[in-house]
Amino acid sequence: MAESDPKARQELLDMWRIYRTTKEMCRDRGYNVLPEECDIKFDDFSRKFGTESGMINRGQMNFSAIPSEDMVRKYTPPATAKTPAPEAQIGTLWVEFNGDEAFGMKHLRDFITHLTTGSYYSGIMIVVKPLSGMAMRALRGAAQLGNGPNGGVEVFLEQDLKINITKHELVPTHLLLSAEEKQQLLKRYRLKETQLPRIQVTDPVAKYYGLRRGQVVKIIRKSETAGRYASYRWAI
Amino acid sequence: MPPKSILKKSAVAANAPPAARAVNGRHLETAVHHANVLEQRKRVELDILRSVMELMDFPSQADADSTRPSPSDAQRFRQAVVAFQPSDYDALIEERNIADKCGYTLCPRPKGKAPSTARKQFVETSKGVQIVDRKKLEMWCSDDCARRALFVKVQLNEEPAWLRQGDYGTDIELMVENAEEHHKTLPLRLKKEVTPAPQDTEEEDAAAAWAARDDALADLAIERGEKPGRLSKANKDLITDKIKERVTKFPPMPPSLPQQSSGQSHMAIEGHVPKSARDAEQAKDSDDEDDEQDWDKALPG
Ligand SMILES: [Zn+2]
Repeated sequence: MAESDPKARQELLDMWRIYRTTKEMCRDRGYNVLPEECDIKFDDFSRKFGTESGMINRGQMNFSAIPSEDMVRKYTPPATAKTPAPEAQIGTLWVEFNGDEAFGMKHLRDFITHLTTGSYYSGIMIVVKPLSGMAMRALRGAAQLGNGPNGGVEVFLEQDLKINITKHELVPTHLLLSAEEKQQLLKRYRLKETQLPRIQVTDPVAKYYGLRRGQVVKIIRKSETAGRYASYRWAI
Repeated sequence: MPPKSILKKSAVAANAPPAARAVNGRHLETAVHHANVLEQRKRVELDILRSVMELMDFPSQADADSTRPSPSDAQRFRQAVVAFQPSDYDALIEERNIADKCGYTLCPRPKGKAPSTARKQFVETSKGVQIVDRKKLEMWCSDDCARRALFVKVQLNEEPAWLRQGDYGTDIELMVENAEEHHKTLPLRLKKEVTPAPQDTEEEDAAAAWAARDDALADLAIERGEKPGRLSKANKDLITDKIKERVTKFPPMPPSLPQQSSGQSHMAIEGHVPKSARDAEQAKDSDDEDDEQDWDKALPG
């Protein structure tokens, strides 16, 4: 590869970091991701996703991810008499990187069409600039609009994935509880979920883990005096 | 009516539960009202979202003529934008532009192309060279579309549709050349003539649109039984023309008590000291003032 211009190289470097964070995020959510995908070396990355002239080729970076058995278990509601074999509320994820200068309703519609025709359960779109106002509204109102994949569409800014916030030492470990684990917790402490402290689904860490409303996360902190202690938060 | 017994009244007031219920009832009413407004807002916003999604693909025919739209497209467009605020309309234009389309809903052509891909562009206008956002420059395929689009924008209601009284609002007019093809009852506007506009700036477009709107308002005034030329019952100019900015001549000072020591207070009539009394007092004081200044000058440094 010849000497590329510094701007293109910086973009390639940024995209390498973003790619790794995205893979780590999928792994931390419970999707099957190979360790070498999270730890890909820059040279390998630029060979795989760069053009001859050293430009990034975002289209090449798109990927799908399949949930692990453990993830499927966590996302399966407890069996009841009515539904003895409930379906898991998770499935194949499609991740796309879009380099367009503006991301509007047209892009969102195209993305949703791709997800539904490809039978993906959910989608993550990684964009350069914030969505247009209407696209943002469409994203929020997707449920009411009645189209799109079951698992919904998430959008991240490239900027927010340049570093992995959960790797910061002050960010404690967040563990998602399965619906069953959540029921056990509430029973043990004789609590209603509304009595738990809360975490907003728009919180950056909640976004990283793709928390949905109603889920409970166990947050494990290291403490100098108490060793480790856990707290629980209810996503709203 | 016989006077009401005080005792009886107080007995009712002392009877707390019904009163509390009345207060609760009012609170409930307020809560219900707010919930209704919120519900209405959600519905309208979803409505607008759907409309933007539909209108960003307009016109329905790829070979449509923006000056002679099909009656069904024109009808749908007019219907959909009634609920829009100007900002929603801007959003529609933005979405069309992102989809590489001319901002005017009834135009099938691609959006304009700026001379270069720079974010800011130098443009030759009647007022000399100006710097314009590329985004703005590429909004329309032509000045004609800009005019037609802005003609719609100036008719939109600034007030959110969920707060409007009764209906969403009035009919929206379009500038079309084929009014005869559209249904007679539709208030479509036949453009008088194609004015050559070689170097229209956006302001001029807006001015043209405003002028067109004024015509429309004149028609409306006649319809309402008002005399043309006279002040309309709903004339905004009544207020806007007369607004004058207050100019501060000196920095504001906190109000201070009238000087008690001046010895004028006994002359004051409701706080005002008549001029004659003031002059007499000042003549008396002037000597003292001179003394003070002298004393000031005598200070070292
Ligand atoms: Zn046009």
